[in-house]
Amino acid sequence: MEYELFIDDTSALRQGEPVELFIRDTERYEAKYVRAIVADSRDKLPEGEVLWLRYTRGLKRPQPWYIKIVQELEGLPMVEGPLG
Amino acid sequence: MPFKGLRDFIEALGRSGDLVRVEREVDWNLEAGAITRRVCEIGERAPLFLRVKDYPGHRMLGAPLATYRRFAVAMGLPPDTPVRAILDEFDRRSRGRLKPRVVDRSQAPCKQNVMRGEEVDLFRFPAPMVHEGDGGRYLATFHLVVTRDLDSDWVNWGMYRVMVHNRNTMGGLILPGQDIGRMYVKYEAADRPMPYAIVIGPDPMSAVASCMSPGPGETEADIAGALNGEPVEVVRCETCDLYVPAHAEIVIEGEVLPKVRVEEGPFGEYTGYRTSPRMPRPVFTVKCVTWRDDPIVPLANMGVPVDDSHIIFSVTWRQDVLNAVSKFPITGVYVPPESAGHVAIIGVHKVYEHIAQHVADAMWGSKMGYLMPYCIVVDADVDVYDMGQVLHALFTKLHPIRGVHGRPGPGHGLFPFMSLEERRWGKGAHLLLDCTWPFDWREGIERPQRAGFTTIYPKELQERVLANWKAYGF
Repeated sequence: MEYELFIDDTSALRQGEPVELFIRDTERYEAKYVRAIVADSRDKLPEGEVLWLRYTRGLKRPQPWYIKIVQELEGLPMVEGPLG
Repeated sequence: MPFKGLRDFIEALGRSGDLVRVEREVDWNLEAGAITRRVCEIGERAPLFLRVKDYPGHRMLGAPLATYRRFAVAMGLPPDTPVRAILDEFDRRSRGRLKPRVVDRSQAPCKQNVMRGEEVDLFRFPAPMVHEGDGGRYLATFHLVVTRDLDSDWVNWGMYRVMVHNRNTMGGLILPGQDIGRMYVKYEAADRPMPYAIVIGPDPMSAVASCMSPGPGETEADIAGALNGEPVEVVRCETCDLYVPAHAEIVIEGEVLPKVRVEEGPFGEYTGYRTSPRMPRPVFTVKCVTWRDDPIVPLANMGVPVDDSHIIFSVTWRQDVLNAVSKFPITGVYVPPESAGHVAIIGVHKVYEHIAQHVADAMWGSKMGYLMPYCIVVDADVDVYDMGQVLHALFTKLHPIRGVHGRPGPGHGLFPFMSLEERRWGKGAHLLLDCTWPFDWREGIERPQRAGFTTIYPKELQERVLANWKAYGF
Protein backbone atom coordinates (compact mmCIF):
# COMPACT_ATOMS: atom_id res chain seq x y z
CA MET A 1 0.00 0.00 0.00
CA GLU A 2 1.16 3.55 -0.72
CA TYR A 3 -0.03 6.70 0.97
CA GLU A 4 -0.17 10.43 0.35
CA LEU A 5 0.18 13.42 2.63
CA PHE A 6 -0.59 17.07 1.81
CA ILE A 7 2.04 19.37 3.26
CA ASP A 8 3.90 22.49 2.12
CA ASP A 9 6.68 22.66 4.71
CA THR A 10 8.42 19.34 5.18
CA SER A 11 10.61 20.76 7.93
CA ALA A 12 7.50 20.53 10.11
CA LEU A 13 7.52 16.75 9.70
CA ARG A 14 9.46 15.21 12.57
CA GLN A 15 11.34 12.13 11.47
CA GLY A 16 12.15 9.06 13.55
CA GLU A 17 9.44 9.40 16.18
CA PRO A 18 5.69 8.82 16.06
CA VAL A 19 3.63 11.77 14.87
CA GLU A 20 -0.08 12.16 14.15
CA LEU A 21 -0.82 12.46 10.45
CA PHE A 22 -3.89 12.77 8.20
CA ILE A 23 -3.05 10.67 5.17
CA ARG A 24 -4.89 8.78 2.47
CA ASP A 25 -4.22 5.56 0.65
CA THR A 26 -3.67 5.68 -3.10
CA GLU A 27 -5.94 2.77 -4.01
CA ARG A 28 -9.34 4.12 -3.14
CA TYR A 29 -8.27 7.43 -1.58
CA GLU A 30 -9.68 6.72 1.85
CA ALA A 31 -8.62 9.18 4.54
CA LYS A 32 -6.74 7.79 7.54
CA TYR A 33 -5.84 9.45 10.81
CA VAL A 34 -2.74 7.69 12.11
CA ARG A 35 0.23 7.78 14.42
CA ALA A 36 3.21 6.97 12.29
CA ILE A 37 6.94 7.25 11.91
CA VAL A 38 8.13 8.93 8.73
CA ALA A 39 11.49 9.33 7.06
CA ASP A 40 12.73 11.07 3.97
CA SER A 41 14.68 8.04 2.73
CA ARG A 42 14.29 4.30 2.55
CA ASP A 43 17.56 3.87 4.45
CA LYS A 44 16.14 5.61 7.50
CA LEU A 45 12.99 3.48 7.55
CA PRO A 46 13.64 0.19 5.74
CA GLU A 47 10.34 -1.34 6.85
CA GLY A 48 8.37 1.73 5.77
CA GLU A 49 5.78 1.99 3.03
CA VAL A 50 5.87 4.67 0.34
CA LEU A 51 4.50 8.06 1.37
CA TRP A 52 4.05 10.56 -1.44
CA LEU A 53 4.02 14.21 -0.47
CA ARG A 54 1.88 16.79 -2.18
CA TYR A 55 1.87 20.52 -1.73
CA THR A 56 -1.44 21.75 -0.34
CA ARG A 57 -2.50 22.81 -3.83
CA GLY A 58 -2.04 19.26 -5.05
CA LEU A 59 1.33 19.26 -6.81
CA LYS A 60 3.16 16.01 -6.16
CA ARG A 61 6.80 16.09 -5.07
CA PRO A 62 9.05 13.92 -7.22
CA GLN A 63 10.64 11.86 -4.45
CA PRO A 64 8.60 9.87 -1.92
CA TRP A 65 9.10 9.65 1.81
CA TYR A 66 8.44 6.51 3.80
CA ILE A 67 5.94 5.76 6.54
CA LYS A 68 5.41 3.12 9.18
CA ILE A 69 1.93 3.28 10.65
CA VAL A 70 2.08 2.63 14.38
CA GLN A 71 -1.60 3.07 15.16
CA GLU A 72 -4.79 3.91 13.27
CA LEU A 73 -6.64 6.54 15.28
CA GLU A 74 -10.40 6.79 15.61
CA GLY A 75 -12.29 9.29 13.48
CA LEU A 76 -10.74 12.17 11.64
CA PRO A 77 -8.52 14.99 12.92
CA MET A 78 -11.07 17.68 13.66
CA VAL A 79 -10.05 21.22 14.43
CA GLU A 80 -11.78 24.56 14.86
CA GLY A 81 -11.47 27.19 12.19
CA PRO A 82 -13.17 29.85 10.05
CA LEU A 83 -15.24 29.17 6.96
CA GLY A 84 -13.38 29.54 3.71
CA MET B 1 -40.47 19.10 -22.49
CA PRO B 2 -39.67 18.76 -18.78
CA PHE B 3 -37.34 16.05 -17.55
CA LYS B 4 -38.15 14.21 -14.36
CA GLY B 5 -34.58 13.07 -13.91
CA LEU B 6 -31.18 12.63 -15.44
CA ARG B 7 -32.17 9.53 -17.39
CA ASP B 8 -34.81 11.03 -19.66
CA PHE B 9 -32.43 13.96 -20.23
CA ILE B 10 -29.75 11.49 -21.34
CA GLU B 11 -32.23 9.94 -23.76
CA ALA B 12 -32.95 13.39 -25.17
CA LEU B 13 -29.22 14.03 -25.60
CA GLY B 14 -29.03 10.79 -27.54
CA ARG B 15 -31.86 11.88 -29.84
CA SER B 16 -30.31 15.31 -30.45
CA GLY B 17 -26.90 13.85 -31.30
CA ASP B 18 -25.24 15.27 -28.18
CA LEU B 19 -24.26 12.00 -26.48
CA VAL B 20 -21.52 9.41 -26.94
CA ARG B 21 -22.10 6.00 -25.36
CA VAL B 22 -18.67 4.80 -24.23
CA GLU B 23 -18.66 1.00 -24.24
CA ARG B 24 -14.97 0.63 -23.36
CA GLU B 25 -14.24 0.25 -19.64
CA VAL B 26 -13.14 3.52 -18.08
CA ASP B 27 -11.36 4.05 -14.77
CA TRP B 28 -13.07 6.25 -12.16
CA ASN B 29 -9.55 7.19 -11.10
CA LEU B 30 -8.63 10.10 -13.40
CA GLU B 31 -9.49 8.49 -16.74
CA ALA B 32 -13.17 9.47 -16.71
CA GLY B 33 -12.08 12.92 -15.55
CA ALA B 34 -9.47 13.29 -18.27
CA ILE B 35 -11.91 12.25 -20.98
CA THR B 36 -14.52 14.64 -19.66
CA ARG B 37 -12.01 17.47 -19.44
CA ARG B 38 -11.01 17.00 -23.06
CA VAL B 39 -14.67 16.81 -24.04
CA CYS B 40 -15.14 20.23 -22.47
CA GLU B 41 -12.09 21.77 -24.07
CA ILE B 42 -12.99 20.69 -27.61
CA GLY B 43 -16.75 21.12 -27.27
CA GLU B 44 -17.51 17.43 -27.79
CA ARG B 45 -20.66 15.49 -27.02
CA ALA B 46 -21.36 14.31 -23.49
CA PRO B 47 -19.84 10.89 -22.71
CA LEU B 48 -22.02 8.28 -21.03
CA PHE B 49 -19.57 5.80 -19.52
CA LEU B 50 -21.33 2.43 -19.58
CA ARG B 51 -18.59 0.37 -17.89
CA VAL B 52 -16.74 1.79 -14.90
CA LYS B 53 -13.72 -0.05 -13.52
CA ASP B 54 -14.42 -1.72 -10.14
CA TYR B 55 -18.09 -0.76 -10.35
CA PRO B 56 -20.14 -3.20 -12.45
CA GLY B 57 -23.68 -1.97 -13.01
CA HIS B 58 -22.75 1.65 -12.44
CA ARG B 59 -22.54 4.36 -15.10
CA MET B 60 -21.17 7.88 -15.22
CA LEU B 61 -22.24 10.86 -17.32
CA GLY B 62 -19.56 13.40 -18.19
CA ALA B 63 -20.13 17.08 -18.86
CA PRO B 64 -23.93 17.02 -18.85
CA LEU B 65 -24.39 20.75 -19.49
CA ALA B 66 -21.02 21.81 -20.88
CA THR B 67 -22.40 23.33 -24.08
CA TYR B 68 -25.23 25.71 -24.87
CA ARG B 69 -26.62 22.96 -27.11
CA ARG B 70 -27.04 20.63 -24.15
CA PHE B 71 -28.40 23.48 -22.04
CA ALA B 72 -31.01 24.13 -24.74
CA VAL B 73 -31.95 20.45 -24.77
CA ALA B 74 -32.26 20.54 -20.98
CA MET B 75 -34.74 23.40 -21.35
CA GLY B 76 -36.69 21.50 -23.99
CA LEU B 77 -35.56 23.90 -26.71
CA PRO B 78 -34.11 22.96 -30.11
CA PRO B 79 -30.40 22.22 -29.61
CA ASP B 80 -29.32 24.92 -32.05
CA THR B 81 -31.26 27.67 -30.30
CA PRO B 82 -29.14 30.87 -30.36
CA VAL B 83 -27.57 31.85 -27.03
CA ARG B 84 -29.55 35.05 -26.75
CA ALA B 85 -32.81 33.16 -27.26
CA ILE B 86 -31.81 30.63 -24.59
CA LEU B 87 -31.08 33.46 -22.17
CA ASP B 88 -34.32 35.27 -22.98
CA GLU B 89 -36.37 32.12 -22.47
CA PHE B 90 -34.54 31.37 -19.23
CA ASP B 91 -35.24 34.92 -18.06
CA ARG B 92 -38.94 34.49 -18.82
CA ARG B 93 -39.28 31.12 -17.10
CA SER B 94 -37.16 31.99 -14.08
CA ARG B 95 -39.56 34.75 -13.10
CA GLY B 96 -42.24 32.13 -12.44
CA ARG B 97 -42.60 29.88 -9.45
CA LEU B 98 -44.03 26.35 -9.22
CA LYS B 99 -43.92 24.64 -5.88
CA PRO B 100 -42.73 21.02 -5.77
CA ARG B 101 -45.21 18.17 -5.66
CA VAL B 102 -44.68 15.69 -2.83
CA VAL B 103 -44.91 12.07 -3.89
CA ASP B 104 -45.04 8.89 -1.91
CA ARG B 105 -41.88 6.93 -1.34
CA SER B 106 -43.27 4.15 -3.59
CA GLN B 107 -43.27 6.61 -6.50
CA ALA B 108 -39.71 7.76 -5.87
CA PRO B 109 -37.06 5.84 -7.84
CA CYS B 110 -34.36 7.34 -5.61
CA LYS B 111 -35.67 5.06 -2.83
CA GLN B 112 -35.09 1.81 -4.73
CA ASN B 113 -32.07 1.04 -2.56
CA VAL B 114 -31.12 2.20 0.90
CA MET B 115 -28.29 1.82 3.39
CA ARG B 116 -28.31 3.30 6.86
CA GLY B 117 -26.08 3.71 9.86
CA GLU B 118 -23.27 1.21 9.98
CA GLU B 119 -24.16 -0.08 6.53
CA VAL B 120 -23.23 3.23 4.92
CA ASP B 121 -20.27 2.93 2.58
CA LEU B 122 -19.70 5.78 0.14
CA PHE B 123 -17.09 3.72 -1.69
CA ARG B 124 -19.98 1.71 -3.03
CA PHE B 125 -20.31 4.41 -5.70
CA PRO B 126 -17.80 5.34 -8.42
CA ALA B 127 -16.93 8.72 -7.01
CA PRO B 128 -14.43 10.06 -9.53
CA MET B 129 -10.94 11.27 -8.82
CA VAL B 130 -11.52 14.18 -11.15
CA HIS B 131 -8.10 15.83 -11.43
CA GLU B 132 -4.66 14.50 -10.55
CA GLY B 133 -3.79 15.91 -7.13
CA ASP B 134 -7.31 16.66 -5.99
CA GLY B 135 -7.85 16.31 -2.27
CA GLY B 136 -10.24 13.42 -2.67
CA ARG B 137 -12.90 11.76 -4.75
CA TYR B 138 -15.57 14.31 -5.52
CA LEU B 139 -18.78 12.32 -5.60
CA ALA B 140 -20.78 15.53 -5.84
CA THR B 141 -19.94 17.66 -8.89
CA PHE B 142 -23.37 17.92 -10.55
CA HIS B 143 -25.85 17.89 -7.75
CA LEU B 144 -27.66 20.01 -5.24
CA VAL B 145 -27.38 20.29 -1.48
CA VAL B 146 -30.63 20.77 0.43
CA THR B 147 -30.63 22.53 3.80
CA ARG B 148 -33.22 24.34 5.89
CA ASP B 149 -32.75 27.53 7.84
CA LEU B 150 -32.50 27.01 11.58
CA ASP B 151 -35.23 29.48 12.56
CA SER B 152 -37.50 29.67 9.52
CA ASP B 153 -39.02 27.51 6.76
CA TRP B 154 -36.51 28.74 4.19
CA VAL B 155 -35.09 25.80 2.26
CA ASN B 156 -31.97 26.29 0.18
CA TRP B 157 -30.82 24.31 -2.83
CA GLY B 158 -27.22 24.99 -3.80
CA MET B 159 -24.40 23.30 -5.67
CA TYR B 160 -21.34 23.13 -3.42
CA ARG B 161 -18.44 20.77 -3.94
CA VAL B 162 -18.28 17.75 -1.63
CA MET B 163 -15.61 15.04 -1.45
CA VAL B 164 -15.41 11.65 0.24
CA HIS B 165 -13.19 11.37 3.32
CA ASN B 166 -14.08 7.80 4.22
CA ARG B 167 -16.98 5.40 4.09
CA ASN B 168 -19.33 7.64 6.06
CA THR B 169 -17.81 11.11 6.17
CA MET B 170 -17.48 13.81 3.56
CA GLY B 171 -15.93 17.24 3.43
CA GLY B 172 -17.13 20.33 1.64
CA LEU B 173 -16.48 23.95 0.88
CA ILE B 174 -18.95 26.30 2.55
CA LEU B 175 -18.42 30.04 2.23
CA PRO B 176 -20.09 32.57 4.51
CA GLY B 177 -21.45 34.54 1.54
CA GLN B 178 -23.33 31.55 0.22
CA ASP B 179 -26.88 30.80 1.30
CA ILE B 180 -25.76 27.53 2.86
CA GLY B 181 -23.10 29.50 4.72
CA ARG B 182 -25.69 31.90 6.08
CA MET B 183 -27.64 28.94 7.37
CA TYR B 184 -24.64 27.05 8.69
CA VAL B 185 -23.38 29.91 10.85
CA LYS B 186 -26.73 29.93 12.64
CA TYR B 187 -26.45 26.22 13.41
CA GLU B 188 -22.88 26.76 14.58
CA ALA B 189 -23.93 29.60 16.86
CA ALA B 190 -26.55 27.29 18.38
CA ASP B 191 -23.98 24.46 18.52
CA ARG B 192 -26.31 22.23 16.57
CA PRO B 193 -25.59 19.99 13.56
CA MET B 194 -27.19 21.09 10.30
CA PRO B 195 -29.23 18.37 8.54
CA TYR B 196 -28.51 18.14 4.83
CA ALA B 197 -29.34 16.04 1.80
CA ILE B 198 -27.02 15.84 -1.19
CA VAL B 199 -28.91 15.03 -4.35
CA ILE B 200 -26.60 13.56 -6.97
CA GLY B 201 -27.87 13.47 -10.53
CA PRO B 202 -31.13 15.37 -10.31
CA ASP B 203 -33.03 16.55 -13.39
CA PRO B 204 -30.91 19.18 -15.14
CA MET B 205 -33.09 22.21 -14.38
CA SER B 206 -33.08 21.40 -10.67
CA ALA B 207 -29.28 21.40 -10.80
CA VAL B 208 -29.34 24.70 -12.69
CA ALA B 209 -31.87 26.27 -10.34
CA SER B 210 -29.63 25.36 -7.41
CA CYS B 211 -27.02 27.70 -8.90
CA MET B 212 -29.40 30.64 -8.67
CA SER B 213 -29.86 32.85 -5.68
CA PRO B 214 -33.39 34.11 -5.23
CA GLY B 215 -32.53 35.17 -1.68
CA PRO B 216 -33.60 34.36 1.84
CA GLY B 217 -37.08 32.95 2.12
CA GLU B 218 -37.26 31.70 -1.44
CA THR B 219 -36.40 28.18 -2.44
CA GLU B 220 -34.75 27.24 -5.71
CA ALA B 221 -37.09 24.24 -5.86
CA ASP B 222 -39.92 26.58 -6.89
CA ILE B 223 -37.74 28.03 -9.66
CA ALA B 224 -36.80 24.55 -10.86
CA GLY B 225 -40.50 23.86 -11.34
CA ALA B 226 -40.93 27.06 -13.31
CA LEU B 227 -37.92 26.26 -15.47
CA ASN B 228 -39.28 22.79 -16.16
CA GLY B 229 -42.83 23.97 -16.70
CA GLU B 230 -44.16 21.55 -14.11
CA PRO B 231 -43.54 20.95 -10.42
CA VAL B 232 -40.50 18.95 -9.38
CA GLU B 233 -41.60 15.73 -7.74
CA VAL B 234 -40.01 15.49 -4.31
CA VAL B 235 -39.98 12.89 -1.57
CA ARG B 236 -39.21 13.11 2.12
CA CYS B 237 -35.77 12.09 3.33
CA GLU B 238 -35.34 8.98 5.44
CA THR B 239 -33.64 10.62 8.40
CA CYS B 240 -34.74 14.26 8.44
CA ASP B 241 -37.53 16.58 7.39
CA LEU B 242 -36.01 17.60 4.07
CA TYR B 243 -37.45 16.84 0.64
CA VAL B 244 -35.42 15.80 -2.38
CA PRO B 245 -36.15 15.27 -6.09
CA ALA B 246 -37.73 11.84 -6.28
CA HIS B 247 -36.07 10.87 -9.56
CA ALA B 248 -32.51 11.64 -8.47
CA GLU B 249 -29.82 9.03 -8.93
CA ILE B 250 -28.33 9.09 -5.40
CA VAL B 251 -29.35 10.90 -2.22
CA ILE B 252 -26.97 11.22 0.72
CA GLU B 253 -28.45 12.28 4.05
CA GLY B 254 -26.66 13.40 7.16
CA GLU B 255 -25.50 16.34 9.21
CA VAL B 256 -22.88 19.04 8.89
CA LEU B 257 -21.18 19.13 12.26
CA PRO B 258 -20.91 22.46 14.07
CA LYS B 259 -17.62 24.11 14.99
CA VAL B 260 -15.32 21.43 13.63
CA ARG B 261 -13.32 21.22 10.42
CA VAL B 262 -11.30 18.55 8.67
CA GLU B 263 -8.84 19.15 5.86
CA GLU B 264 -10.64 19.28 2.50
CA GLY B 265 -9.47 19.95 -1.03
CA PRO B 266 -7.69 21.07 -3.04
CA PHE B 267 -9.86 20.82 -6.14
CA GLY B 268 -9.46 22.01 -9.72
CA GLU B 269 -12.05 24.74 -9.78
CA TYR B 270 -14.22 26.65 -12.21
CA THR B 271 -11.71 29.48 -12.44
CA GLY B 272 -9.50 27.14 -14.46
CA TYR B 273 -6.99 26.72 -11.65
CA ARG B 274 -6.50 24.85 -8.42
CA THR B 275 -6.35 28.02 -6.38
CA SER B 276 -7.21 27.42 -2.78
CA PRO B 277 -5.14 25.01 -0.73
CA ARG B 278 -6.15 22.04 1.33
CA MET B 279 -7.65 23.59 4.43
CA PRO B 280 -9.82 22.64 7.39
CA ARG B 281 -13.39 22.80 6.13
CA PRO B 282 -16.85 21.61 7.29
CA VAL B 283 -17.54 17.94 7.95
CA PHE B 284 -20.55 16.14 6.47
CA THR B 285 -21.37 12.96 8.38
CA VAL B 286 -23.55 10.45 6.55
CA LYS B 287 -26.52 8.71 8.15
CA CYS B 288 -28.21 7.21 5.14
CA VAL B 289 -27.85 6.80 1.38
CA THR B 290 -30.65 5.97 -1.05
CA TRP B 291 -30.20 5.35 -4.74
CA ARG B 292 -31.78 4.16 -7.95
CA ASP B 293 -31.04 0.77 -9.42
CA ASP B 294 -27.93 0.97 -11.63
CA PRO B 295 -27.19 4.55 -10.61
CA ILE B 296 -25.56 7.08 -12.88
CA VAL B 297 -22.95 9.36 -11.29
CA PRO B 298 -22.67 12.63 -13.19
CA LEU B 299 -19.23 14.19 -13.52
CA ALA B 300 -18.83 17.90 -14.12
CA ASN B 301 -15.10 18.43 -14.57
CA MET B 302 -14.38 21.99 -13.58
CA GLY B 303 -11.31 23.68 -14.96
CA VAL B 304 -10.31 25.73 -17.97
CA PRO B 305 -13.46 27.02 -19.71
CA VAL B 306 -15.80 25.91 -21.13
CA ASP B 307 -17.38 23.31 -18.89
CA ASP B 308 -20.71 22.84 -17.15
CA SER B 309 -20.01 25.42 -14.48
CA HIS B 310 -19.28 28.17 -17.02
CA ILE B 311 -22.38 27.47 -19.09
CA ILE B 312 -24.56 27.40 -15.97
CA PHE B 313 -22.99 30.57 -14.53
CA SER B 314 -23.40 32.35 -17.86
CA VAL B 315 -27.12 31.77 -17.42
CA THR B 316 -27.77 31.86 -13.67
CA TRP B 317 -25.29 34.53 -12.57
CA ARG B 318 -26.29 36.54 -15.61
CA GLN B 319 -29.90 36.28 -14.46
CA ASP B 320 -28.99 37.73 -11.07
CA VAL B 321 -27.18 40.62 -12.73
CA LEU B 322 -30.04 41.15 -15.16
CA ASN B 323 -32.51 41.36 -12.29
CA ALA B 324 -30.28 43.87 -10.54
CA VAL B 325 -29.79 46.21 -13.52
CA SER B 326 -33.11 45.83 -15.30
CA LYS B 327 -34.35 49.19 -14.03
CA PHE B 328 -31.67 50.90 -16.07
CA PRO B 329 -31.97 51.49 -19.82
CA ILE B 330 -29.96 48.42 -20.73
CA THR B 331 -29.79 46.61 -24.06
CA GLY B 332 -28.49 43.30 -22.77
CA VAL B 333 -26.33 41.44 -20.29
CA TYR B 334 -23.89 38.67 -21.14
CA VAL B 335 -21.55 36.67 -18.93
CA PRO B 336 -19.27 34.93 -21.43
CA PRO B 337 -18.49 31.34 -20.39
CA GLU B 338 -14.86 31.82 -21.43
CA SER B 339 -14.46 34.36 -18.61
CA ALA B 340 -15.24 31.69 -15.99
CA GLY B 341 -18.13 33.87 -14.95
CA HIS B 342 -15.80 36.68 -13.91
CA VAL B 343 -17.13 39.43 -16.15
CA ALA B 344 -20.54 40.79 -16.97
CA ILE B 345 -20.85 42.74 -20.21
CA ILE B 346 -23.72 45.20 -20.05
CA GLY B 347 -25.05 47.30 -22.90
CA VAL B 348 -26.67 50.63 -22.02
CA HIS B 349 -28.39 53.58 -23.61
CA LYS B 350 -26.17 56.34 -22.34
CA VAL B 351 -28.79 58.78 -21.17
CA TYR B 352 -26.58 60.44 -18.59
CA GLU B 353 -22.92 60.66 -17.67
CA HIS B 354 -21.57 58.00 -15.30
CA ILE B 355 -24.42 55.60 -16.03
CA ALA B 356 -21.75 52.92 -16.39
CA GLN B 357 -20.71 53.39 -12.76
CA HIS B 358 -24.34 53.41 -11.70
CA VAL B 359 -25.05 50.15 -13.52
CA ALA B 360 -21.85 48.53 -12.25
CA ASP B 361 -22.72 49.49 -8.68
CA ALA B 362 -26.10 47.81 -9.09
CA MET B 363 -24.45 44.70 -10.50
CA TRP B 364 -21.98 44.46 -7.64
CA GLY B 365 -24.83 45.00 -5.23
CA SER B 366 -26.52 41.85 -6.46
CA LYS B 367 -26.11 38.58 -4.58
CA MET B 368 -23.88 37.05 -7.25
CA GLY B 369 -22.12 40.31 -7.99
CA TYR B 370 -19.22 39.57 -5.69
CA LEU B 371 -18.38 36.55 -7.82
CA MET B 372 -17.86 38.79 -10.85
CA PRO B 373 -14.96 41.17 -10.27
CA TYR B 374 -15.10 42.66 -13.76
CA CYS B 375 -17.79 44.70 -15.45
CA ILE B 376 -17.64 45.97 -19.03
CA VAL B 377 -20.22 48.56 -20.02
CA VAL B 378 -20.74 49.31 -23.69
CA ASP B 379 -22.95 51.63 -25.70
CA ALA B 380 -26.23 50.47 -27.16
CA ASP B 381 -24.77 50.02 -30.63
CA VAL B 382 -22.57 47.16 -29.41
CA ASP B 383 -24.11 43.68 -29.33
CA VAL B 384 -23.08 42.35 -25.93
CA TYR B 385 -23.47 38.77 -27.13
CA ASP B 386 -20.94 39.31 -29.94
CA MET B 387 -17.46 39.09 -28.41
CA GLY B 388 -15.93 40.52 -31.60
CA GLN B 389 -17.93 43.69 -31.16
CA VAL B 390 -17.17 43.81 -27.45
CA LEU B 391 -13.43 43.48 -28.03
CA HIS B 392 -13.60 46.20 -30.66
CA ALA B 393 -15.32 48.53 -28.21
CA LEU B 394 -12.91 47.57 -25.44
CA PHE B 395 -9.85 48.56 -27.40
CA THR B 396 -11.20 51.57 -29.24
CA LYS B 397 -13.65 53.27 -26.90
CA LEU B 398 -12.10 52.55 -23.51
CA HIS B 399 -9.94 55.43 -22.35
CA PRO B 400 -6.90 53.82 -20.65
CA ILE B 401 -7.19 56.19 -17.69
CA ARG B 402 -10.63 57.83 -17.62
CA GLY B 403 -12.49 54.64 -18.50
CA VAL B 404 -10.83 52.37 -15.95
CA HIS B 405 -12.35 52.30 -12.48
CA GLY B 406 -10.76 49.90 -10.01
CA ARG B 407 -11.55 49.75 -6.33
CA PRO B 408 -11.49 47.37 -3.37
CA GLY B 409 -14.46 45.08 -2.94
CA PRO B 410 -15.53 41.77 -1.54
CA GLY B 411 -13.48 38.90 -2.88
CA HIS B 412 -13.67 35.17 -3.15
CA GLY B 413 -11.21 32.58 -1.97
CA LEU B 414 -10.98 31.03 -5.41
CA PHE B 415 -9.97 34.18 -7.34
CA PRO B 416 -6.59 33.27 -8.87
CA PHE B 417 -5.35 36.87 -9.08
CA MET B 418 -5.61 37.50 -5.36
CA SER B 419 -2.72 36.96 -2.97
CA LEU B 420 -2.91 34.14 -0.45
CA GLU B 421 -3.69 36.62 2.28
CA GLU B 422 -6.45 38.26 0.24
CA ARG B 423 -7.97 34.87 -0.61
CA ARG B 424 -7.98 33.85 3.03
CA TRP B 425 -9.91 36.89 4.13
CA GLY B 426 -11.98 37.54 1.02
CA LYS B 427 -10.31 40.86 0.28
CA GLY B 428 -11.07 41.40 -3.38
CA ALA B 429 -11.39 44.15 -5.92
CA HIS B 430 -13.70 45.33 -8.67
CA LEU B 431 -12.86 46.76 -12.05
CA LEU B 432 -15.26 48.66 -14.28
CA LEU B 433 -14.23 49.16 -17.88
CA ASP B 434 -16.43 51.94 -19.22
CA CYS B 435 -16.47 51.61 -23.00
CA THR B 436 -19.11 54.25 -23.60
CA TRP B 437 -18.50 57.56 -25.29
CA PRO B 438 -18.47 60.55 -22.92
CA PHE B 439 -21.94 62.03 -22.67
CA ASP B 440 -20.80 65.52 -23.61
CA TRP B 441 -19.12 64.47 -26.86
CA ARG B 442 -21.13 66.00 -29.66
CA GLU B 443 -22.36 64.01 -32.64
CA GLY B 444 -20.26 64.84 -35.70
CA ILE B 445 -17.64 66.74 -33.68
CA GLU B 446 -15.96 64.85 -30.82
CA ARG B 447 -17.86 61.57 -31.21
CA PRO B 448 -16.22 59.33 -33.86
CA GLN B 449 -18.45 57.86 -36.51
CA ARG B 450 -18.58 54.10 -36.55
CA ALA B 451 -17.22 52.89 -39.89
CA GLY B 452 -19.44 49.86 -40.35
CA PHE B 453 -21.66 48.69 -43.20
CA THR B 454 -24.81 49.62 -41.35
CA THR B 455 -23.53 52.94 -40.02
CA ILE B 456 -21.41 54.64 -42.68
CA TYR B 457 -23.33 53.99 -45.90
CA PRO B 458 -26.68 55.44 -46.95
CA LYS B 459 -29.60 53.22 -46.08
CA GLU B 460 -30.72 52.95 -49.70
CA LEU B 461 -27.24 51.81 -50.76
CA GLN B 462 -27.17 49.19 -48.03
CA GLU B 463 -30.49 47.85 -49.25
CA ARG B 464 -29.32 47.83 -52.86
CA VAL B 465 -26.11 45.99 -51.99
CA LEU B 466 -28.01 43.41 -50.00
CA ALA B 467 -30.59 42.96 -52.73
CA ASN B 468 -27.86 42.40 -55.33
CA TRP B 469 -25.59 40.32 -53.11
CA LYS B 470 -26.00 37.08 -55.04
CA ALA B 471 -25.80 38.96 -58.32
CA TYR B 472 -22.34 40.17 -57.32
CA GLY B 473 -21.29 36.54 -57.25
CA PHE B 474 -21.27 35.94 -53.49
